[in-house]
Amino acid sequence: MPAKLIKGDKVAAHLYEEMAAELKDIYEDTGLMPGLAVIIVGEDPASLSYVTNIEKRSKQLGFDVVVHRLTVDVSEGDLLQLIDELNYNDDVHGIMVQLPLPEHINPHVVQETVDPEKDVDGAHPINMGKLFSDEKGYIPSTVHSVMQMIEFTRQPLYGKKAVLIGRSNIVGKPLSLLMLRRNASLTICHSYTEDLPEICREADVLIAATGKPGFVKEDWVKPGAIVIDVGVSQVDGKLVGDVDFAAVKNTAGWISPVPGGVGPITITMLKWSTLEAFKKSIAAG
Amino acid sequence: MAAKVISGKEVAAEIRKELTVQVAELKEKGIVPGLGVVLVGEDPASVSYVTSKAKGCQEIGMFEETVKLAKDTAEEDVLKVIDRMNHDPKISGILVQLPLPAHISVEKVIGFISPEKDVDGFHPVNLGKLLRGEECPLPCTPHGVKQLLVRSGNDPAGKHVVICGRSNIVGKPLAAILMQKAAGANAVVTVVHTGAKDIKHYTLQADILVAAMGIPHAITADMVKEGTVVVDVGVNRVPDDTKKSGFRLAGDVDYEPIAEKASFITPVPGGVGPMTVTMLLYNTVEAAIRLNQA
Repeated sequence: MPAKLIKGDKVAAHLYEEMAAELKDIYEDTGLMPGLAVIIVGEDPASLSYVTNIEKRSKQLGFDVVVHRLTVDVSEGDLLQLIDELNYNDDVHGIMVQLPLPEHINPHVVQETVDPEKDVDGAHPINMGKLFSDEKGYIPSTVHSVMQMIEFTRQPLYGKKAVLIGRSNIVGKPLSLLMLRRNASLTICHSYTEDLPEICREADVLIAATGKPGFVKEDWVKPGAIVIDVGVSQVDGKLVGDVDFAAVKNTAGWISPVPGGVGPITITMLKWSTLEAFKKSIAAG
Repeated sequence: MAAKVISGKEVAAEIRKELTVQVAELKEKGIVPGLGVVLVGEDPASVSYVTSKAKGCQEIGMFEETVKLAKDTAEEDVLKVIDRMNHDPKISGILVQLPLPAHISVEKVIGFISPEKDVDGFHPVNLGKLLRGEECPLPCTPHGVKQLLVRSGNDPAGKHVVICGRSNIVGKPLAAILMQKAAGANAVVTVVHTGAKDIKHYTLQADILVAAMGIPHAITADMVKEGTVVVDVGVNRVPDDTKKSGFRLAGDVDYEPIAEKASFITPVPGGVGPMTVTMLLYNTVEAAIRLNQA
């Protein structure tokens, strides 16, 4: 039996409706809109297209979104100066800096400059650190959307076996802590791990985040497993994921497509976090 | 085959010897590492920990100051002590002994310690840095486990490490340490907990097995394959009438039969235990060096 599809738009639909209703209420009460500042440096095509998408989708929903497009030769000092201004701007509730940054700019310094209360993409170490406990902080949007997709399947994670391929700072590492919070057993490995197919075959939930197109093969997947594909690569002008979708969909129980899977929810989760920050700021007066 | 015993006492002594040399060298440059300890209340176990920390500092030639506060001390007054230590140049590391009385927020107190002086490694900024693989003080117990492995010739690189238990102070940070692409790490890491259906299924896959569940003898011999490296983090009190105290210490591992199968094993007591305070001293010396560079 072919796998059920986990489509990003479908997963995000109820969140979208919920947010739209809340925004309308708040706007009628206060006349205020959530402010999201997005910073992009340079002209990496994938980043540009992602940021343009954020801009379009956030505006549609009633966010006051401003994209700061900086040239690739901007100095680190000028970038930090901009972040500092946004930190103190009361109309801005969320700040997101698109990666990658050019080599002359230290991404860690940039991420640490963003006010943790406005760090809606969960990139500040203080928000990463909160993932170790049950303390509430902001979660990286991609990680947040993977968790939403798993929730969409309505399969309990308790006592299940999850396998994560890829240990990046923005996906694999933070996701591992969230899976443990949700009481899964978890193996985190990477694309060079020995016996990788064997490890993957044990997974009730398999998450691929390596950036290697078509890396996960059908015989790596346990029949009925939930397969979430976080990878996005360009092959011959087309977007493809880390999973050999055409084959794996015959074995998996659920599978997320690329494109149209994790991507669209990620933007929704970024807005979700910005709305949270906005509500906090209203509550604080 | 009987396992080689990894003696935490010996490894700890080796590290302390290195630290003694390092502290002496730092002193020549005018840098004296110092540990500030804050103890609230008189919980006997806490008092004993704090004493061994103070002794450890003296042994390796470090400055040490312990502030003892009554158990009804207001949160604000605890924060004041930390604030003073945050600004005190004699203090390079601050440790607040846990548990704290219920009226004091642990989150707030830990978050108040200057991250540069957080030698316990539990400030969220430092945990975040740990996750990203940046230089930071590593939480002492998992750091001790890593040192025991590396210094006994069991580098985790490329190995399958199975951690039983996902506590905030051991399981999770240890997983985060060993999954990094870094020296003494780079392992495939599996974390299981007591809610897993079949823990044995996982433990039998381990090249390195770390037991940190806090359940005496939860790991039995049938759960361990021949040649596994076994690290026992558990320290449990079990009733024992033959002891004057009425109890003895037992690990999470059923030691005797597992020692027959494992290639290496850490005992309880004398395994991971002695490493924890030692890594605290280590973190304090590192903090002193970093503070001086800044």
